[in-house]
Amino acid sequence: MNEAARGTAVPPALALRGIRKEYPGVVALDRVDLDVYPGQILGLVGENGAGKSTLMKVMIGLVQPDAGSIALNGAPIVLNGPLHAAEQGIGMVFQDGCLIANLTIVENLFLCHELQFRRRGLLSRRDMREEARRVLEQLGVHVDVDLRVEEASPAVRQMVEIARLLWLSTLYGRENPLLILDEPTTVLNDDERATLFSSLQRIKERASVIFISHRLQEVVDTADRIVVLKDGRAVAELAGPDAQTARIEELMVGHTFAADRYREHEQREPSPEVVLDVRDLSRKESFERLSFTVRRGEIVSLVGLVGSGKEAVCRCINGLERPDTGAVLLNGTQIQAGSPSEAVRRGIGHVPVDRRNDGLALAMSVSENINLLVLERLRVAGFIAPRLEQKNARTWIESCRIKTPSARSLCGTLSGGNQQKTVIAKWLTSRVQALVLDHPTRGVDVGAKDEIYRILRRLAQEGVAMLIMCDTLEEDIGLSNRMLIMKDGRLVKEVDCAPEHKPTPREIIQHIV
Amino acid sequence: MAITDGSIRGAQAVGRTRRVKISPKYIPMALLMAVAVVFAVGNPNFVSPYNINTILVYAAPLLMVALGQMCAILVGGIDLSVGGMISFISCLFVVMIPRIGPWAYLLSVTAGLALGGINGLILTRVRIPSFIATLGTGGILASLSMLLAPVPVNVPTERQGLLNVVTGSFLGIDNSLYVGAAVFLLFYVVLRFLPQGRRVFYVGSNIRMAWTSGVNEAGIRTLAFVLCGLGSALSALTLSATQFGSNPYLGAPFVLASIATVVVGGTALTGGAGGPFQTLFGALMMSMLQNGMNVVGIDQYFQQSILGIMIIVCVVLTFDRSKTPVIK
Repeated sequence: MNEAARGTAVPPALALRGIRKEYPGVVALDRVDLDVYPGQILGLVGENGAGKSTLMKVMIGLVQPDAGSIALNGAPIVLNGPLHAAEQGIGMVFQDGCLIANLTIVENLFLCHELQFRRRGLLSRRDMREEARRVLEQLGVHVDVDLRVEEASPAVRQMVEIARLLWLSTLYGRENPLLILDEPTTVLNDDERATLFSSLQRIKERASVIFISHRLQEVVDTADRIVVLKDGRAVAELAGPDAQTARIEELMVGHTFAADRYREHEQREPSPEVVLDVRDLSRKESFERLSFTVRRGEIVSLVGLVGSGKEAVCRCINGLERPDTGAVLLNGTQIQAGSPSEAVRRGIGHVPVDRRNDGLALAMSVSENINLLVLERLRVAGFIAPRLEQKNARTWIESCRIKTPSARSLCGTLSGGNQQKTVIAKWLTSRVQALVLDHPTRGVDVGAKDEIYRILRRLAQEGVAMLIMCDTLEEDIGLSNRMLIMKDGRLVKEVDCAPEHKPTPREIIQHIV
Repeated sequence: MAITDGSIRGAQAVGRTRRVKISPKYIPMALLMAVAVVFAVGNPNFVSPYNINTILVYAAPLLMVALGQMCAILVGGIDLSVGGMISFISCLFVVMIPRIGPWAYLLSVTAGLALGGINGLILTRVRIPSFIATLGTGGILASLSMLLAPVPVNVPTERQGLLNVVTGSFLGIDNSLYVGAAVFLLFYVVLRFLPQGRRVFYVGSNIRMAWTSGVNEAGIRTLAFVLCGLGSALSALTLSATQFGSNPYLGAPFVLASIATVVVGGTALTGGAGGPFQTLFGALMMSMLQNGMNVVGIDQYFQQSILGIMIIVCVVLTFDRSKTPVIK
């Protein structure tokens, strides 16, 4: 298939050439070339922050590239927005879905295109229902079309979105529509996944599909061709069926399997003194009773799949959720449960995964964000002294190497990595004793990742106890002194991660699944 | 997603144009001057010392209530009870001053703080949006003021000496202007130099972040409404003193006037962005427009629409839209 498509003269349905997109401080896409052929499933893989989502947004016109061109069926085109893209037969099924939950399946399917179903000037709901049933049955979906979307299963919702995109392309008379599926399998169970893959095989008879997933085996099994993105570049193209997941992984991570990626040589043996002591903590439907400690200067990584309960454990430690049993102690004193202000006052910090919404005031300056927790300390005779504010902010901007035009620049204008450094700086200046880091390097480019690792190592040397959840298992292993493995709400295993004998990801995965 | 991109684009645009653009800080000042010049051309008396004094005396009580309203808006809320509060507190003040003398001042300020506190607690403890909560308390206060003073009430002549604090003058300047300046300074110091006041901005900017960072967001939001009560009370005192009396409808126009003043100044209704200087500008602008239209003799029937147009124009020019991704 793959050879057939490229070897013979079948022209690409969609051709991207030299696509470049830059955000303040990050090059999201760097001269990306991508061909999508008719009747093919193209697998798109890459780490978080590799540029996948930006590339997709370029393809549906949600983001305008700074440079490069797009050609649809050989003719150059500028996509102004998702509606324009839909008219050209290009559509995307977003990870979280974008249907309107309180409308029915029919209403969602034909949203904004209801005028097709006029009879004597009035909408015919009967025609709409019939058409809905027809398009869904084509995809092998049998469902009550008057069901409200919020009552439908994730699998059905997904198929409704796919059906809508296919129907729109027929409406606009497009021969070979292009469907972009962004991590469609994360919300599905095994059966639903199998159904999706078999319908994809049928859909590709009359459409091109771009399939994005973090589960490489799925991509290998489904895609005809695989493109690997890394740091905003398309680094490799493989024929789907012959690709090896290990090879893809290597390409995704790049040269970075090299030693000392996580600054392991700076890893120190923590002092025996316990800072954070979690005792018999449990929370119904999240995790069962568990106890562990984090010592001064120790980085402990909490690993487990989605649903293992690790996030809830962290939320309980930070007081964002109230545990049912047990207690959290800091330096031997119990901390009142369920109160973030109490946790912060005692010295437990929290670097959230969603820094834009939970970690920063984007419309406030870098300086204001850094100083939030220490306003009391910046006072002279009871009043905040602007001089001390500036001094404190400047100290931490330098120390954390936050790249910002000035301390007064708004946080919203910084790149992801520098925003994250600002969040960390905020906690550093407050002299935290224990810090929970929820995916601190998510969506951050490679250079900034290293900066964050550097800061974490320094924090450890200064004696901060850290509990960390990382994006990849390699990162967990590389950064931590010790790993705690959670599975189905239980703490199942503790693994030592001394720099000279780090476990391999494979050894850890055994315990996770 | 689209929203994020929009804000980034906006931010870039700001970065690119910064070199050629005059600092936006001076736009309000320039706008104020421009409007003054227009009115002065229309009628040179507009810039006479007497008229300038009139403008400032009119602006003072508006500034006080608007500074309070600004606090409520900064934390992402709104206070629709300022009208009821002004009516109630001014009636209370005028009714009580013959009985308890100067203590009426203290009583009124305490009432303002307490009523603001009640608004704050309804918002944060009962968890009702401030728009609804203050609509309710505003209604209650409006009817309480009618019960307290069914007919317009006046401060008896023998007690009017007690109003000198506001009605007198010092060095040829009306005392109400000193009071206005003092209230402005108070709000400025609280919001700029006290940690609690600073937190108002963090809570308004991102309440979830503030909460997870250990800020007592309920306390800060309550504080903002207490400050709003304080502003309303001080405004009520100034109004009833300058009029030597009060009536239960005194406060009604101040609900929308205070919101308009805050917004004209450039404070965002979405919270977090703005400040006392913006509101000072807003109060001066509103007062100048109302006075100026009379001075140059614009038909009463046109005045409302011109004011409406000017409100929109001011917001377009002063409000930094790059800071707020979604305009609602």
